[in-house]
Amino acid sequence: MSAIKFVNCYSPEEELSYDKRIALLRQRKVDQTAEKAKLGGADEDDYGLIVQDEFKFQLQPSHKNGSIYGYDAWSQNYCRLLSEHPLYLDALDAFVGKGFLFLERLRPPKKKWNPDYAYPDLQQIFDRYNIISGIDNCHHFTPDIQIGFDLGWGGILAKLEEQEKLHDESHADFYRAEIAVVKAIIAFLDRMTDEIEAQAERETHPVLKQNLIDMAECNRAIVSDKPKTFRQAVQWMCWFSMLSRTYNRGSAGGQLDEMLRPYYERDVEAGILTDDEAVFYLACLFLQDSRYFQLGGPDENGEDMISHISYLCLEAADKINIACNLTVRVHDKMNEDFFRKSVAYLFKNKQGWPRYSSDNALVEGFMKCGYSKELARRRVAAGCHWMCIPGMEYTMNDTVKINLLKVFDVAYRDMMAHADEPSIDALWECYKKHLKVAVDATGAGIMHHLKYQSKSQPELILNLFQHGLIEKGLNITDGGANFYNMCVDGSGLAVVADSFAACESRIDREGKLTYAQLTELLDRNFEGGEYVRQMLQHSPRYGGGCTLGDAWAQKVNELYTSLVRDLCNQYKGVNFIPGFFSWSNTIGLGKTVGATPNGRKAFEPINHGANPNGGFRRDGAVTSMCNSIGAIQPGYGNCAPVQLELDPGIVGDEEGVDKMAAMIKTIMSTGNTLLNINIIDGKKILEAHKDPMKYPDLVVRVTGFTAFFAMLSPTFRQLVVDRVMSVNGSRLEEDQ
Amino acid sequence: MMMDDDNKLTGAIKGIVTEIQRFSLQDGPGIRTTVFLKGCNMHCTWCHNPETLKHMPEIMFYPIRCIGCGKCVEVCPEGAHTMGNGKHTIDRTLCVGCGKCADACYAEALQLCGKRMSAKQIMDEVEQDKPYYDNSNGGMTISGGECLCQSPFVEQLLDAAHEKGIHAAIETNLSFDFERIEDVLRKCDLVMFDIKLMDDEAHKTYTGVSNAKVLANAKKLDELGVPFIVRTPLIPGVTDTDENVSAIVDYIKDMKHLVRYELLNFNTLGGAKYESLSADNAHADARPLAKARLDELGAIIDRAGIAGKVV
Repeated sequence: MSAIKFVNCYSPEEELSYDKRIALLRQRKVDQTAEKAKLGGADEDDYGLIVQDEFKFQLQPSHKNGSIYGYDAWSQNYCRLLSEHPLYLDALDAFVGKGFLFLERLRPPKKKWNPDYAYPDLQQIFDRYNIISGIDNCHHFTPDIQIGFDLGWGGILAKLEEQEKLHDESHADFYRAEIAVVKAIIAFLDRMTDEIEAQAERETHPVLKQNLIDMAECNRAIVSDKPKTFRQAVQWMCWFSMLSRTYNRGSAGGQLDEMLRPYYERDVEAGILTDDEAVFYLACLFLQDSRYFQLGGPDENGEDMISHISYLCLEAADKINIACNLTVRVHDKMNEDFFRKSVAYLFKNKQGWPRYSSDNALVEGFMKCGYSKELARRRVAAGCHWMCIPGMEYTMNDTVKINLLKVFDVAYRDMMAHADEPSIDALWECYKKHLKVAVDATGAGIMHHLKYQSKSQPELILNLFQHGLIEKGLNITDGGANFYNMCVDGSGLAVVADSFAACESRIDREGKLTYAQLTELLDRNFEGGEYVRQMLQHSPRYGGGCTLGDAWAQKVNELYTSLVRDLCNQYKGVNFIPGFFSWSNTIGLGKTVGATPNGRKAFEPINHGANPNGGFRRDGAVTSMCNSIGAIQPGYGNCAPVQLELDPGIVGDEEGVDKMAAMIKTIMSTGNTLLNINIIDGKKILEAHKDPMKYPDLVVRVTGFTAFFAMLSPTFRQLVVDRVMSVNGSRLEEDQ
Repeated sequence: MMMDDDNKLTGAIKGIVTEIQRFSLQDGPGIRTTVFLKGCNMHCTWCHNPETLKHMPEIMFYPIRCIGCGKCVEVCPEGAHTMGNGKHTIDRTLCVGCGKCADACYAEALQLCGKRMSAKQIMDEVEQDKPYYDNSNGGMTISGGECLCQSPFVEQLLDAAHEKGIHAAIETNLSFDFERIEDVLRKCDLVMFDIKLMDDEAHKTYTGVSNAKVLANAKKLDELGVPFIVRTPLIPGVTDTDENVSAIVDYIKDMKHLVRYELLNFNTLGGAKYESLSADNAHADARPLAKARLDELGAIIDRAGIAGKVV
């Protein structure tokens, strides 16, 4: 297979307006998603990936275990992959840039980390506490696309070659690998442009033929040179995204409106771009990949960055209306009109976009790490739950998870084995001891990753879009980044808090149970003990509003935050930032932990992110939940996001939109950092769970990312359904 | 008689509360917390909160949640619960609403509807969402049942809300002697009341009482200068006629402090509650009105030139 082409698909007489083309492209996307679902789907971002089973790339291993490690192996395999990569072209689309696979996933399972740098002692601790260490994980920081806009691939190549001459042999591996990669990219773009030109000759529909001619011209212009027009800039972004994804999946977005504004304004002034064209191009950008982009927010001086193109971004997302990961930044000087419009789109389309981040909480928190307000404001939403300054930070965002619940389990067992008299105080002391061991090991793991990651998987694409790395000749993990702000997330906070609260209330305070009896019940997974399980489960829970569970969540947060921050003292020059998030590991992390004192049965999933457990209040009050999550923010610039599931019925008119806008603003002004929202009809999602293809274009925000519901595995669909039902469930139950 | 009983219960410091619902979006402007008080002086055949009709606490039973543990049988001092052949039954003639069974029922199959709470206990909950009220021009709504059956307590709650700077509204049927409720009404930032039927005979048939006090008090409320919203629940075959809605519009259209007139579409949410109370649902087969019909009724309001809303 050398190409996937959609050329000569329409009669030359057929009218193809921009709106019609968007509708057809959207339908193609839905059809392709259905194909993906048939092939098993995936519990993650959509990535704009085209799934096919014809093109198979054969990895050339550099190690006897079948994997690839280090600069040369990655560079050589990537270059060969690009030379063999099929070309995807759709005459309806404004752009090319579809990818088929990720090189990083072609490695053999469990062979990601270079075995020459094993860490058996740490691994023992990771296993004991079920820590996802982040060692061997890649990307999860934000490139500065402006570097590419300023230099183009040719400029980057020239800079690499210039710097190579200035460095000694110790940097030769870096430059050799990077130069080969950029040359392969330029060759690939040349090949693609040739193909577009060839297909432009063949296309018979006048509109699409002209589109292909323009597309070829656009691509020829940026094969090596920097983009000069709006269309070229967006095409450049599409290429960057595909090329980076193909390498190792990394493609965090950035401040989309501000990145494109200069091109937009210049082209409009020159009379070569209309708003209709701009919206079409932006819709095609969103179609190409589900990257995370931020809209609005304050500039370095605190002034709002919303401009006309911000509105066009919303309009384009509305037209294409698929899995869009757009974040609107809420801040004091926010453009109210734009904000309200974004809320209206959220409820109109019910596709989980946009989501909202809080400038106040994030900036104030990040400044506590010692950064200036100006720098803190440049940290934009670029991933599932994370922020990053484009081109300035290495973060390992969302790759490190400490299973707080597993730590609780170990602590509980330790107390039962060694405490003279089990009690809530004894349990807390044990928890403190074990959490410190877990956090310290996680910190050591991060340092190990930093030390040896370039020997495993250098960031050959993203290195090029960091300030200073080309000049230093260093992989980003080797000390060349401007800042090292390592993300350390805790997972399972709600189950831990509820377990502490259940023990304290039912055993220590009310005396309805003993620790020995509880242990016996946990050991037999509550078999024959449903009454006690219900009693434990209905203890005062986190999310209930000023409950014992809320108090425990805050206490665990304070402990966790202080332990993570203490890592900064242990490893000078590296900043460790705590947060609470699970990503979509709720199932996996739950599978390692038996029954817990909050009434959770063995191996059931942990709570999602920082959210409370389902059924936290009888009325499921959003306000109560958000207040509770606002109260457990670690407060150093990373997130403990709110995941909200709302019934579409709550917004029936303009007044409803006003109420939701007020709700979002309040959530964002009461300590919270990030808000992910699903607007889902309970009955619809139940039907879609039963028969996913009944609603093939239904998009849900799974965690930080949005995905086509039909693409998710049954287990993941169940998770989303459970979350929705915990808000709407009682109503449906009463309705039946 | 009913009123006297209520005063004995609530004249002191506690009200009987069926539920406190936070993030309430349908009970007045903005984001609100709605406090539902128990007991009503009307008995509308369509009531979708039937658990609020009686004045005394009572037990609600949701069989779907029952785990068959039998704890309720153990703790009930009146012997109202029995378990036989895996089936749980309640003899409501024996139940005194003490709530001991609900306290023991962690599965929440049994729930006590009607808890005695002080104004402070309620405000502790209400206050937690003050930032939401402030940003949305919302606040607290006291509803029911008929909240003014517990008017002294409502007065306390209104005072407590105002002390905290929280907007306070009530939902009422206004079917009282005016002098009995005048002081409470004066303390409200907003009053939402129903005019269900203009035909008095029909009103008596479907609610158990005359609409005379409701209609008279509507005019007196307007004279007090307190802003108010008039609402009509649309009950298929009962209140949803052009004649009824037109007559109500005619009656209220010249009132100076009318904020708007709302038509509330029928909802079926009360169905499970009737079952949980072992009570008959007279409108079990009724369904919400279609959008086209709602539009027709909404047009009547528009033609009168008053603000309206169809929910």
